[in-house]
Amino acid sequence: MAISEADVRRVALLARLEVTDEEARSLAEHFGKILEHFHRLQELELSEVDPFSLEGPGTPWRSDEAKPWGGRDEILSEAPRREGDFFVVPRIVEEE
Amino acid sequence: MELWKLPAWKIAEEVRRGNLSASQVVESHIRRMESLEPSLNAMITPMPEEARRRALAVDEALSKGTDLPLAGVPVAVKDLLCTEGIRTTCGSRVLGEWKSPYTASAVRYLEENGAIVIGKTNMDEFAMGSSTEQSAFGATSNPWDLSRVPGGSSGGSAAAVAAGYAPIALGSDTGGSIRQPAALCGVYGLKPTYGLVSRWGLIAYASSLDQVGPFSRDLVDLALVLEVISAYDPLDSTCVPGSRPRYRDALKAHDLKGQRIGFLKGYQDFDMDDEVKEKLAFALRICQEGGAEMMEVSLPVSTGYGLPCYYIVAPAEASSNLARYDGVQYGLSEEGKSILELYLKTRGKGFGNEVKRRILVGTYVLSSGYYDAYYLVAQKVRRLIADEFARAFSAVDALIMPASPTVAFKKGEKLDDPIQMYMSDLFTLPVNLAGLPAVSMNVGYSKAGLPVGVQVVAPKWGEMEILKVASVLTDAVGSPKVAMGGEG
Repeated sequence: MAISEADVRRVALLARLEVTDEEARSLAEHFGKILEHFHRLQELELSEVDPFSLEGPGTPWRSDEAKPWGGRDEILSEAPRREGDFFVVPRIVEEE
Repeated sequence: MELWKLPAWKIAEEVRRGNLSASQVVESHIRRMESLEPSLNAMITPMPEEARRRALAVDEALSKGTDLPLAGVPVAVKDLLCTEGIRTTCGSRVLGEWKSPYTASAVRYLEENGAIVIGKTNMDEFAMGSSTEQSAFGATSNPWDLSRVPGGSSGGSAAAVAAGYAPIALGSDTGGSIRQPAALCGVYGLKPTYGLVSRWGLIAYASSLDQVGPFSRDLVDLALVLEVISAYDPLDSTCVPGSRPRYRDALKAHDLKGQRIGFLKGYQDFDMDDEVKEKLAFALRICQEGGAEMMEVSLPVSTGYGLPCYYIVAPAEASSNLARYDGVQYGLSEEGKSILELYLKTRGKGFGNEVKRRILVGTYVLSSGYYDAYYLVAQKVRRLIADEFARAFSAVDALIMPASPTVAFKKGEKLDDPIQMYMSDLFTLPVNLAGLPAVSMNVGYSKAGLPVGVQVVAPKWGEMEILKVASVLTDAVGSPKVAMGGEG
């Protein structure tokens, strides 16, 4: 299945990934080969098959309780841009 | 005595008796690590100073009478398990110098038992790869032949144990990332049943597949570490409650009488190195001579379609898990005039080729109009694979399969051909898709001196069974040798 560089750029934007021209070229090539490989799955008869879901002995529900956490400042100190207790991002709402 | 050659159980025994200090043990391993690291590059962050400090603390705790079953045992930790106060990189640029505010439960359990982390090991970025070449911190070399790869993605952990930096290590296995490097480096590597070991503090790749597991050069060590790290952890909602067996008890088995062992029908016709086929046949003979009833098993969907199934499911989950690296709260952050530009640039610069490829594949197969054609189909095939193994295990107690179709390959050989690289995990991926436990172990060496491994697979919660088979195989082939790592 042929995948164009435009296809790669469209999906890359959905995934919030900047790709260079060279990356788009090489990704288009590899992407096509990988999708081709996926098409082998069409050889299987699947109409009566239920999709997989994780199962097993099961894990217990627990009550949704807040517990004290001492690492608040360590977490905030990792912020690339910070003002007080806020993470700073570029302006999201445009001015009129 | 070269302390770095000792198994973990022996170290702990000697340190607890006071015949050795944790400091002596740690010093010996640090020297080994520092002499080989220039040629192996198995570590992203060596931690000699932290390990020395911790060794003093262990020695002091012992002098006060604290019981520490892993006293003084050095451990190497894959760099996707969080360690408080030490950077965790996941082999990526995108996390920068990020330090987790807490330690992963599996690591904490080891430390609470007296083990000492000597460093964070190299890995394919975000555990995506089979060669440890796709790390932002450079490739790791195979300690048996420096021109070859150690396998991946936990290649640094496998190489570190093989070369004697530490008797034990932790890795993670999403599609073979413990078992394939264990085979290529000639050590034990165990991928537990999905839900056995806590993943609290494990950086997620594909959450329905990821498991944390141990590496060792000694089978008792493998069982011992599994006992420690498999303790139930309420912090991981996928960790199954309940007590775990004393895994070392499985090693009392010295024959396989009454056991039914399966092997792949027509395995000689699979695309594998001849020497891998020969060693597999050798392992099967050992089981037979040990009294097992040998049975042919057919797994056509798992071996024929496991690979495309995995490469839809895992990237789909990865594209979602890796959405969190956005340059806002931690890690690398590029400048952008808008929030979109900040995301695009940060992620574009922060991720390497293979990670980008898998994020794109995952985004594509989940995107509108393609979900039914790819993701839903893959989830149905995954059901067939899980059912196929369940049927096989109604007839056999354990399966012996190749751990890797090849011995360690040359660096660069598969880097430009993703499908060829993915084929490295042909026999390991289906085990993750079905959520089963498996141990990969050395069963000999090729003519060129490269390790050859096999894996033993059992039904869910069958860790005792795979260790039993591994014990009988080990009686026949001996424990793995220490790799010279380019020395001598």
